[in-house]
Amino acid sequence: MAKLKTPTLPSNPLTSPKRPGKAYGPSTPLEHGAEAGITAVDWIDERTSLSGGLRWMMFRKVPKGTNWFYTLGSATMFAFLSQAVTGVFLAMYYDPSATRAYESIQHINNDVFLGEFVHGMHKWGSSVMVILIFLHMGRTFFFGAYKYPRELNWVIGVALLVMTMTMSFSGYLLPFDQRSYWATIVGVNINGTGPLVGPYLSEFLRAGPYFGATTLSRFYAIHMLLVPGAIAALMGFHLYLVAKLGTTAPPWVRAKSPDALREQKVSDL
Amino acid sequence: MNKREKEAYLREYGVLKSQGKPFFPYAIAKDSVMAIMVMVVIITMSIVLGAELGPKADPTSTTYTPRPEWYFFFLFELLRVIKPPALVPLATIGVPTICLILLFLLPFYDRGAERRPERRPIATAAGIFTICAIGYLTYLGAAAGPPTEIDIPVPANVRSQGSAAVANFKSGEQVVAQSGCAACHKFGENGNAGPGPSLTRVGARLPAQAIQRTLINPTAPMPSFATLSEQSPKQFEQMVGFLAALK
Amino acid sequence: MTEHKESKSKYTEDRQIPGAFEGETVTRRRAMVLGGQVAGGVAAAAFALPALGFAVGPIFEKQDQPWQIVGNTGEFNPDSYVPRTITLVAGIGDAGKSTVYLRKYNPDLDTEPRDEYNSYIAISTLCMHLGCPVRFTAAAQRFICPCHGGVYDIVGKVNGGPPVRPLDRFYTRLEADRVLIGPRFSVNSELQRFSPRDPGEPLDGVGQYLYPSRPSMRKIQGT
Repeated sequence: MAKLKTPTLPSNPLTSPKRPGKAYGPSTPLEHGAEAGITAVDWIDERTSLSGGLRWMMFRKVPKGTNWFYTLGSATMFAFLSQAVTGVFLAMYYDPSATRAYESIQHINNDVFLGEFVHGMHKWGSSVMVILIFLHMGRTFFFGAYKYPRELNWVIGVALLVMTMTMSFSGYLLPFDQRSYWATIVGVNINGTGPLVGPYLSEFLRAGPYFGATTLSRFYAIHMLLVPGAIAALMGFHLYLVAKLGTTAPPWVRAKSPDALREQKVSDL
Repeated sequence: MNKREKEAYLREYGVLKSQGKPFFPYAIAKDSVMAIMVMVVIITMSIVLGAELGPKADPTSTTYTPRPEWYFFFLFELLRVIKPPALVPLATIGVPTICLILLFLLPFYDRGAERRPERRPIATAAGIFTICAIGYLTYLGAAAGPPTEIDIPVPANVRSQGSAAVANFKSGEQVVAQSGCAACHKFGENGNAGPGPSLTRVGARLPAQAIQRTLINPTAPMPSFATLSEQSPKQFEQMVGFLAALK
Repeated sequence: MTEHKESKSKYTEDRQIPGAFEGETVTRRRAMVLGGQVAGGVAAAAFALPALGFAVGPIFEKQDQPWQIVGNTGEFNPDSYVPRTITLVAGIGDAGKSTVYLRKYNPDLDTEPRDEYNSYIAISTLCMHLGCPVRFTAAAQRFICPCHGGVYDIVGKVNGGPPVRPLDRFYTRLEADRVLIGPRFSVNSELQRFSPRDPGEPLDGVGQYLYPSRPSMRKIQGT
């Protein structure tokens, strides 16, 4: 087979052309700083090509008529981020053992700087997230936004709803007060009422026939590793699909004059 | 949705999108304002309501009344209203699972092309009904007191008889509450509806003697309060007096 | 009249695949794809199965239920219940304890035959609907659950509300004049003994097969 000749390399590929209007490059310290930042970002982009994806995500158009109802999804995500961050810091003081859990939360509330505040943010943040996710679902439902081509995104959204409820449920055992304990007993027994597999499922959740030494750490692992990981992954996919398919327009908004638009496009050519 | 409707939708959407604005910064600005509002709400709640702990978990307790977090009240109430033991798995697993499957599969059985809520009467009605049902169950769940607590307003005719009668009524209420009558009978907002009849207006149906006779000689499965009448006749009297005053 | 469809030969050589060997039925590409999938599956199973087994293990571990003293014979009577605290799970302090109601066997109330394990009746305080703490109300002679409206009579049989079976019990036995309490067992509506089940799991009819007992806890053999 005949080989193609290797093209000759450009004489100096590294010098980029001068920016228009700038004869002598950066001069003030501010311009030098900006240049350094641009260089760093360029360096990363040269190796990852992330700017294309970012541009695709950020500069996609949202349709006409997009209103405040469309911020509910991102607000839910924001509440999740708040939960994730406050949760990580609570985990630094929390001790998931049946004998020490309650005392460690008391310690967070009473002794740790800003302890009760961060604990309160995590506690009430869960309620806020549940409300937001339901509102987001209501908006999607009444605007018919689950219809073609966004069916899969609805299914993922329902999975996220279920996982959010799982998070709230597994979370409120952790303070280990009376409400936590009995609500968990009832919740685990609810799983046990499923025929055939139910009894094994409830025993799996409790790690034994009774509420035992490792039940709390089991719920802790589910609450802070298993489900949040799954939520983050599914949320990423949910967002990707939103960007790919576009957010819906409110159902009563109609395109004004598609014909005029088409004519204009043709004339542009 | 058939192929033509899909095409029509995609074309319409393409036009709407092309007439729209870029996500950054227009939508991002709104999202950020909303995020600030979310954080304001969370922080305010945290500061105002705090993160109080209840008493430490005590599995040996027999006096604690377990209640879930507010967003599970509708499931809690579902368990309360479905009474027959044979239907327990339906209340715990069945109904939630069916609802969840219906929710998951929504886009696969609702395939119409129409998106405007006012032109999808069935879907919109079903959605509003579901919200109302969950809201109502949540309210009932939140209002459900323990069966050892009765809170009934003092009837006017008792109040007119003076403070001694009111005190007697109140202590009778106490005895009835602690005897667990509300486990089977309804007293106004409190108590369970069944297996016993509602006692909210029992005084209007039965005279005091009949109530006393029923308490000592009840029909099964109601327990007899004969031991109470022998051991502490004063409490028994207050109990009868309270029930007879419910008109 | 049957339409004859030309069947594909199983030999790659016959199918005109370039580079095929004689007698070869699987292409090398296909063998590599399958091999890759199997190897990946084995590697994933190598971490997933042990982890899963580790998490599921406790279900199959038999739990020790040592007998514990709850009092002297004189402390209990046949007509009313005395609450006692017992330890179900050792080593986790108060979280492993539970309350049990005890009374002496009463021939007027108890219909089940007497044996060495029921001269004292020990009734669990977990509601058999979903496990809330029931309380014995002396005035009404009833066990009453504060959650979803369960009511039980004095021997623990269901009077009303959603509970699916009578209250669970514990084996008791006498040692000199001390009362000892042992493993838990469940009863059906005729008060027959069954291996312990969780709340919400009926034992009447097909219930005992729909909700099997677990290896972690069994009733005493032959009772």
